[in-house]
Amino acid sequence: MPLSLDQVLILVAITAYIISTLALLTYLLSREPLAKRVGVPFAFVGCITQFVELVVRYQTSHIWPLTNLYGSLSLFSAMSVAIFIVFALRYDLWFLGGFVEALAAGFLAYGLTWNEGYLPPVPALQSYWIKIHVPLVVSSYAAFMVAAVCSAIYLIKYYFERSLVGGARRALRAAAATPSGSVGIATMQRIESDEATIVTIGESPNIEAAAAAGNVTAQWLATLPSLAKLDIMTYRIIAVGLPLLTVGIITGAWWAKEAWGAYWQWDPKETAALSSWILYAAYMHLHTRNAWRGVRCAWVSMIGFASIMFCYLGVNIWISGLHSYKM
Amino acid sequence: MIGPASSVREQWNQFVRDLLNLFANVLFAVSLFGVWGLLTLIGVVVDQGRDPSDYFGAYPPAVARLILRMHFDNVYHSAQYVGIIGLILTSLAVCTFKRVIPARLPALRPVKIEHMPLHAAILVRGTYAAVRERIDRFFSERGWTIRKREFGGVEWSFADRHNWARRGVLVAHIGFVIIAAGTTIYWARGFSGTTTVLSGAAATIPQTGARLFLDRFTYRIDPITTKSGIVYQPIDYVSDVHVTGRDGQSRALTIRVNHPIDVDGTLVYQATYGFAVDFRVTKDGIPVPGIPTRPLEEGAGFALGDTGRAIRYHQFVGTIDRTNGGIAADPRPNDAGVVVDVFDGDQQLGSAIVPFGKSLDLGAGYRLTPLHYALYSGLQYRYDPGIPLVGIGAFVLLAGLCISLYLLPARLYVRIDPESGTSPSAPTRWRVGVAATTVKGYDVFEEQFRELVSALERDTRTAPAA
Ligand code: HEM
Repeated sequence: MPLSLDQVLILVAITAYIISTLALLTYLLSREPLAKRVGVPFAFVGCITQFVELVVRYQTSHIWPLTNLYGSLSLFSAMSVAIFIVFALRYDLWFLGGFVEALAAGFLAYGLTWNEGYLPPVPALQSYWIKIHVPLVVSSYAAFMVAAVCSAIYLIKYYFERSLVGGARRALRAAAATPSGSVGIATMQRIESDEATIVTIGESPNIEAAAAAGNVTAQWLATLPSLAKLDIMTYRIIAVGLPLLTVGIITGAWWAKEAWGAYWQWDPKETAALSSWILYAAYMHLHTRNAWRGVRCAWVSMIGFASIMFCYLGVNIWISGLHSYKM
Repeated sequence: MIGPASSVREQWNQFVRDLLNLFANVLFAVSLFGVWGLLTLIGVVVDQGRDPSDYFGAYPPAVARLILRMHFDNVYHSAQYVGIIGLILTSLAVCTFKRVIPARLPALRPVKIEHMPLHAAILVRGTYAAVRERIDRFFSERGWTIRKREFGGVEWSFADRHNWARRGVLVAHIGFVIIAAGTTIYWARGFSGTTTVLSGAAATIPQTGARLFLDRFTYRIDPITTKSGIVYQPIDYVSDVHVTGRDGQSRALTIRVNHPIDVDGTLVYQATYGFAVDFRVTKDGIPVPGIPTRPLEEGAGFALGDTGRAIRYHQFVGTIDRTNGGIAADPRPNDAGVVVDVFDGDQQLGSAIVPFGKSLDLGAGYRLTPLHYALYSGLQYRYDPGIPLVGIGAFVLLAGLCISLYLLPARLYVRIDPESGTSPSAPTRWRVGVAATTVKGYDVFEEQFRELVSALERDTRTAPAA
């Protein structure tokens, strides 16, 4: 049976993601510019193809494609790559691409298992709010996914650095780095914790030393941005996700008010979203503390993403049997 | 006498200070957030508002007892939930006044530049006035607001960026408080409820006296062919009603999902629908007295004479699968029946599917027959005077979030000293010290600071010597 345009586009997108994943993973491991030059265009191709596919599906069926898990997972994977591309362009984060796109392709493939064909929406979903609320919420999930990948890289680097010296405290001690030769006297420093004395750091001195001694993992980790930079990148990505989730929850509440009479009904989905929102609001607060910035915040970001996955997939798959959605 | 009294007062003051410090601690606030999140999550995982027996059915007895004792079966209205939100609001208020305002709006003060984590120094030639003018202009041209102060005979320049955005946190916090106020108004003055109405019958909203007469309820369910077979997808639910509000006028209106109607400020929504069923119960062929005469809605039941047994109308079955006597996928009433549960006291003895017109032998000469069904519409009504406030609060919270997350208020401290070694009476080389702080730590500004200092150095190097 010949494939429909819809299916062809999905195939193209998944293939592009796989190629881009392999290329950007190679780039992550080797810093080979050629790998990046291959990976980046394929990331664009995969992402654009997915958006085109969503439009084609809408054009063919005249049914808004986000009324089921398949459609929303398609948007989730496309948005995560789109958000990744924007941050990568702005802050040169292409090294994250392998992980982000592997996850995007995985979620897209998983979404295909929920593809039941074209189903008209149930009465509750027949509202213009679906066109506003769902993309916002799904985009926030996507941002949190990219942030979690960034945190994962942070944690890999952090624990490796720590394992090299066998203790967290001694890990980040080194000579001061001079930011610019011409500035001359300037010294960049970083306060390590609230109570600690000011500690000046270079990038990752133990990793650099181990790399110089021929440790392959250290040589690889030395090519990654500094822990401080990874932490700030995570913060910036979450700073996109949190307002999106906030608007998502607000528009959801608005819609609920129109559809069911109350803007808040403690429905499992809205409640799980509130739990995730609380976690990320806690992240934002903890990030204002020197002692919490860094490794602890990276863990909060990971836990935050786990809660997002529970809210997104867990509630749909496990809880819907207990609490049924209103019509 | 004075001694002990003042020491009690001192102890009290100390206690109040400690308490305020605790409430002003961000980690305490985050711990409250944690408890709030956890309680919220418990409400997701534990089904809310069920009968106690349901929990004993679903969980081990110890867990079920814990759920009931801790009010986790209605957690969002429990004392601990309301209490935690109260604590969060208190913490937020204390923190805002004790910590956020002083920390976010710091006074202009001199600092030890080289002790600041982000600092740099460059050497510039020229007269003091020319160098200062050049430095101030450099920052002003880049959008920094310059303020000058003199401390101990030394002139300082303070350059601020996005200074107003320091209030973003306050805006976010105020938004949260407004939302809390809006929801409190609903608790104090709002009401909500549900009612079911049969076609041709009327319901009244008790709080307002408004009358809703249901002319008819209609629904549409379509069979759709999907990859895994036919599914029956609900497409529409419609209640055509005549509404009589405060003015006594009857108006014909239609209620649909997503399209509520407004009756004197109370919104009425299409919430559910179902099939109400008339049952006949006989003993040895003679109708048993005491059986409800009006049709029963799903979930309702009645006692079976004085037998100690009870019957519950569990579910309407649109189509009975005649091949196996089970429930077919099509929910529309083609070959309809009901599922009834039979209880002896609290003990469920069993359940059965009974087609309409057929009777079920309940033993001891009792027989139960579902006679007819009629559609009913489930309506939900709600009066919530807090909604505008919640809306405003949400908007303010969002604005505060965006201000605090996307704008980075930063402050530069600039001090110009004669370069050591130059003539103290007429120095021509100046050491310009620059330090920076931001509201989000130093790392976040490190690169920009580097670029700024390099640009400053280039600018002052190319400047014509005065
Ligand atoms: C118990 C309640 C709360 C307390 C005690 C609290 C306290 C604080 C404190 C102390 C800061 C950092 C101020 C600083 O060091 O400069 C802060 C920042 C902030 N708060 Fe809250 N807060 C609470 C609730 C909330 C809520 C519910 C929100 C809503 C989203 C919120 C949004 C923010 C934002 C956006 C920031 C700025 C974060 C940043 O700049 O990265 N806060 N809060």
